[in-house]
Amino acid sequence: MKRVLTYVISIMALLLAWELASLAVNGINHAIILPGPFNALSQVVKNAAELQRNFAASAWRLILAILISLIVATPLGLLIGREPTLDRYFSPIIYITYPIPQVALILFLFVVFGTGSATKVTMVALALFFQILVSARGAAKNIDEEHITSVLSAGASRWQVYWHVVLPATLPEILTSVRVSIGLGIAFLYIAETRAALGTGLGSYINKHMLFNRERAFAGIIAMAILGLLLYIAVDVIERLACRWKYVKRRPLK
Amino acid sequence: MIDVDAVTIDYGQGEQTVRAVEDVSFRLDKGKSLALIGPSGCGKTSLLFALSGLLQPRSGKITLDGEEVTNPRRDVALILQNAGLLPWKTVWQNANLSLLLNGDFPQQNAAEVLAHLGLDNVMKRFPAELSEGMKRRVGIARALSTSPSVLLMDEPLASLDTLTREKIQDLFLNLWHEHGFSMILVTHNIEEAAFLGQRIIVFTDRPARISAIVENPQMGSLDYREDPVFQGVMSQLREALEA
Repeated sequence: MKRVLTYVISIMALLLAWELASLAVNGINHAIILPGPFNALSQVVKNAAELQRNFAASAWRLILAILISLIVATPLGLLIGREPTLDRYFSPIIYITYPIPQVALILFLFVVFGTGSATKVTMVALALFFQILVSARGAAKNIDEEHITSVLSAGASRWQVYWHVVLPATLPEILTSVRVSIGLGIAFLYIAETRAALGTGLGSYINKHMLFNRERAFAGIIAMAILGLLLYIAVDVIERLACRWKYVKRRPLK
Repeated sequence: MIDVDAVTIDYGQGEQTVRAVEDVSFRLDKGKSLALIGPSGCGKTSLLFALSGLLQPRSGKITLDGEEVTNPRRDVALILQNAGLLPWKTVWQNANLSLLLNGDFPQQNAAEVLAHLGLDNVMKRFPAELSEGMKRRVGIARALSTSPSVLLMDEPLASLDTLTREKIQDLFLNLWHEHGFSMILVTHNIEEAAFLGQRIIVFTDRPARISAIVENPQMGSLDYREDPVFQGVMSQLREALEA
C-alpha cells in the first residue's frame, strides 16, 4: 500500500512539473507549443481505441524483442563469461560490434526484412542483445568461486554448475540489464516505428500527430511511458519471485 | 585408508608456474583424524582440493582405499570455509544438494541429519536468514547427507566468534565419534588443530612442505581443552610453526 502511495505521489509531482513547464513554454511563445498533462490525458481518453491498437502493436514488438535478445544473449554471455577459450575468441568481436549504433543499420534492415514488424523487432532485439550479453558475461565472470567449488565437490557436471550456480547467481544482474533494456528498447522502437512511412505502433502514432495535433502526440508519449512502467513492474515482480533469496533478512528462530 | 604419495601441486604453466605443494607424503587410516596446519596461503587448501579430486597433482599420487582419486567422489565430502552454501537455495535444498546432483531423491538420511543438528525448523529458510553458526551446521548437514567415509574441511570455522567456534568443534568431535568417518581438517588455528587432530602435520610457507608431525593420541573428549596435554600439544605446534 505504501508502495502504491509513493508511486502516486511521484506521478503527481511529475505531472505538476510538466504543467509548470507547459505554462512557461507556452507563456514565453504566446502559443500552445507544449500541451499540458491534463489536455494530453484527456486525449488519451478520447482516442482510447486508436491508442489501444497502437499500444498493443508496440507492446508485443517490444516484449518479443526483449524475449529474443534475452533467450539468445543470456546463455551466450554466461558461456563467454565462464569459458576462457570462448572469451578469448568472442570478446574482441563484442568490443568491435557493441559500440556500433544499431540504428545505423535500420535502412539495411528495411531492405532485408521490409517495413513491417520484423524489421522493428529485429532492430530493438539487436540493440538489447548487446546490453544483455555484456551484463551476463560480466556477471558470470564475477561469481564467487566458492559456490562453484561447492557444487563441483558434490559431484556436479558442467551443465549442473550452470544450472545450479551460474544462472541463479547471475539472474539479478541479468534482470537489471533487462530493466535498462526497457528504456533503451522503447527509444529504439520509437525510431524504428517512425522510420517506416506507414504502420502501427506508438512511434508512428506520435509521429503522425506531432506537427498538427500535438495534444494527441503527447497522449501517445503518455502511452509509451505507461508501456515502460508496466514492463518495469513486470520485471520487478519476476525478480521478487525468481530471486526470493535476495529479499530475505536474518531472523530469529520461533 | 588415504595414501598421499610424494604429491607436488603446481598452478600455471611455463615461466608462470607457481608451486603450491612440494613432495608431500602421508597416510591416514580409516576412521582417524588429521589436521593440516600452516601459515595462511601456504598451499594446504590446494592439497585438500587434490584429496577431494577437484584438482590433479603435477606429480605423485593420492589413493583412497587403493583407488586413485581423480574426480570428486560421493564418499568424500568437502566442507568449505564459508560452508559453501548456495544463497539461492533453501536449507533443505542446500543440505540435499549432493543427493539431488547425483540423481537421487532426497533420502531419509538428510532429514535425520538436519533434525539431529537442530535445523528441522529452518528447512525452508534461505542462508541469509540464518546466523553464521547455523550456516556452518547446514554445511555439515550437506556433507553428512551422503554418509561419507572421508570428511575434508577447509578452515570450516574461520570468521566465527570463539564460543560458536568451540560449539561447532564439539559438534565435529561428536559426529566423528558417531559416524566413524576419516577426518582431514585444514586450519591455521593451533587450538583447533590440537582439539580435532589425532595427528597434526605442520607445513612450511609456500610451497607447502611438511616441516613437523605432532602426534596427539589423547584427543577425542569434549573436556580435552582443560587437559594439560592439550596445552602441551599447542606449545609444540607453536614452536614448530615458529621454526
